[in-house]
Amino acid sequence: MRVLAYELRRVRGLRSTWLLLGLVVVCDAVVAGVLAGQVGDRTLGGAAAVRLLTAAVPLVPLPFAALGAGVLGALAYGHEVRHRGLAASQVSYPRRVRLLTAKLAVTGALAALLALVTLLIDAVTVHFALPAGVTVAAWSDPAALSARVAEALAQSGPGGLVDVLPPVAAPLALVAGQGAPAALLAFVLLVVVAGWTGVLTAALTRSATAGVLLLCALPPLLESAVALVLRQSGTPWPARAAELLPFPSGIEWAYGWVYGGDGRVAGGGVLSAAPALTDPALLAAAVAPVLVLLLVTLVVQARRRAL
Amino acid sequence: MIQITGLTKVHRGGGPPVLLDLTFEARPGAVTALLGPEGAGKSTALRLMLELERGRGVTLFAGRTYRRLRRPEREVGVLLSGPVDAPGAADLAGHPGRKARGHLRMLAAAVGVPARRADELLERTRLAAVAEQRLRAYSPGMHRRLALAAALLGEPGTLLLDAPTEGLSPRNVEWFHAFLRSFAADGGTVLVTTRTPQEASQLADRVVTLDRGRMAADESVTEFRRTRLSPEVAVRGPQMARLADLLAGQGAQVRRDGGTELAVSGVGRTEIGELAYRHGILLHELADRVVERPAPRADLRVVASGPGRPRTPEAAAAPVPEDARAATTEQAEQAERAERAERAERAGQVGQHDRTVAMPVARPRALAAAARDAEPAPTLALPVAPPPAGGSSALTAPVASAAPGPRRGARAVTRRAVEAAEAVEAVGGPGEAAGTAWPGRRGGGRREDETSPVVAVDRLFRDGLTGLARSAQAPAAASKAEAHERPGEAADGLLGDDTVRLGRVTRPQPDRADRPAPDRPVPHRSASPGAAPAGPVVPVTSDLRSE
Repeated sequence: MRVLAYELRRVRGLRSTWLLLGLVVVCDAVVAGVLAGQVGDRTLGGAAAVRLLTAAVPLVPLPFAALGAGVLGALAYGHEVRHRGLAASQVSYPRRVRLLTAKLAVTGALAALLALVTLLIDAVTVHFALPAGVTVAAWSDPAALSARVAEALAQSGPGGLVDVLPPVAAPLALVAGQGAPAALLAFVLLVVVAGWTGVLTAALTRSATAGVLLLCALPPLLESAVALVLRQSGTPWPARAAELLPFPSGIEWAYGWVYGGDGRVAGGGVLSAAPALTDPALLAAAVAPVLVLLLVTLVVQARRRAL
Repeated sequence: MIQITGLTKVHRGGGPPVLLDLTFEARPGAVTALLGPEGAGKSTALRLMLELERGRGVTLFAGRTYRRLRRPEREVGVLLSGPVDAPGAADLAGHPGRKARGHLRMLAAAVGVPARRADELLERTRLAAVAEQRLRAYSPGMHRRLALAAALLGEPGTLLLDAPTEGLSPRNVEWFHAFLRSFAADGGTVLVTTRTPQEASQLADRVVTLDRGRMAADESVTEFRRTRLSPEVAVRGPQMARLADLLAGQGAQVRRDGGTELAVSGVGRTEIGELAYRHGILLHELADRVVERPAPRADLRVVASGPGRPRTPEAAAAPVPEDARAATTEQAEQAERAERAERAERAGQVGQHDRTVAMPVARPRALAAAARDAEPAPTLALPVAPPPAGGSSALTAPVASAAPGPRRGARAVTRRAVEAAEAVEAVGGPGEAAGTAWPGRRGGGRREDETSPVVAVDRLFRDGLTGLARSAQAPAAASKAEAHERPGEAADGLLGDDTVRLGRVTRPQPDRADRPAPDRPVPHRSASPGAAPAGPVVPVTSDLRSE
């Protein structure tokens, strides 16, 4: 408990935390606004809507929110190394593991919050930035809307927001009809995983910068690895993803596959997202890197004398 | 109470050990200073104590190693001079963007003390006024005080500080000194490292001197002041040559510092002023100052198997307790040795080549007899020597001349006189008068001799008897032969003497009895108690035992 309190105070007391969070949210909103302004279609499909909401930009290895969470995580550890407050209090291994756990917990919570906040802000932005005449698929079925929204919010976090912010929650529903809650949940998960990865890569390299670089390098590497695994396991992996390897399909990998990995498919018909998320191979693909990193970190920590 | 035992650190790539068998104690209620120049291994020692680095040796904080302490922050406050791997952040207490109060509160949460303790400490370290400033605005002194406050959060009873006053302003240094002194006065244990002997003498109760990773000395501050710092008077003026002559006439030691400055020791400032006034000498400056004497150098000879060869860490690091300890003690003696040699020279007639006389004493009886037969000169030297009365007066002269010097000098010289007389007796010289004269003198020696190292006696014994030999005008050939013999013997003697002293420190009585006679050329360690020489030497050993 003490380490948790310490970590919370540490994160709270730094200006860089708030600057970074603000930067991520603003970036996300701007990108989402610009993307929304460029929508030319008359109807907005589910996949495109998800992309708008998460402000996904091609060629950037991770969405902004995930990148921000990763940087926060890396800084959480890097500061400990660089500006350690109590010189020698982390000598014993259990204490170090405890501190690491606290950092993972705080970073994870922060990352999840960040993801939700960006989703909300982006939804508002997209709502206002969408050109006139664009109809969102979800709008067309108002009956299902409220139920979907409630379900979406219940699934992805605080359900009470529906009552508090109806105008904000309404745009969120533009993906609700498309099985989007699962996609958004995947997004939140991705952000949290990115935050943890940041902490762990920084723990391995003992440097925030190196941690962030490693974090950015991971998705392209993982992408190919996951494609390989899926192909080996016989799970249908779209041929297109393999064509686009190694790099540009990073975003597709990240949450494209929730729709079956293909924007055209997602745009054409409504696919159930639930099976994709519960697909053990995909879940493993998302979580395995973090687990591996965690194990390596614990082993490396056992060899060290200080954080 | 911190017990440090055998701290040793050797880098994996080889090279001389960074730290070799450092063993000492830091007691509660006292400030212990770890003194040494840059690179002597002070910080390494501290990091080894906290097990922040891999190395050998054990450090116990109240009976437990640091790692095993239940709540280390509550028992040991640590202030290190910045992590090695982030040199840029060396002097910062925390993240530069954080405010002092927030920083301390954060650490208080980690330590598990209420946040108001942070405010208390800010008051105590005089940072309360600037507690809401960000740390990047802090001066080095403020950073250091904040780091100290962080170390004190858990109200520890022990403080471990790495160069706490390095690079600080005099005011901050003063504040730190006062704080640490009061902390120790309240019963806390304080261990600090420092580079300057002056600071060590001001701050510490006990000073451990490191030299290239070896312990050079472990002494109380009074002894430290005596051996490492000496007061002298700086005098400047236009007529310094004349004043120097006058002062030399008064028995002061005068050293020229450039054209117009003198450094005088042995005479007080007021006396110098009066002398100058009486002789109409103009003075521009007359000031007391403290001069630092060179630190004792660690003797690397004992670990010669280490540094010289290409070696594995094993070989270099393998602590050879006796040898290493002998080395450290030995080294502690080196400054004294130099001093002694100087004093011996100063003692006037006392020359260099006593061996002729001393040898027979040292050797077993048969050997001694053989020597007497083989070398007629030394044995003859004594009978021919000036009459006993003259001899004893010659021996007392050095005592008088050494009197103004530090106590140890006088003591050692007294002892020397005693031993000389003893030797005279042992060799069978006409020692009637000397024999009657010396018991009283020995009494005086004993009174002063509570802490005197036996080594000093041994060394001076040699030097002392030289005087006799020379005054007897022993044949030059004999003395030359002895001079040839000398270096090797001296080396053996050093090693042996220190072993003897070590023994004396731990087990006073038996070892003193066992102590072989001074000039024995074999290493003393090999001498077993039963091997005490018989015959003419017996009176010597028995006398020593009686001391």
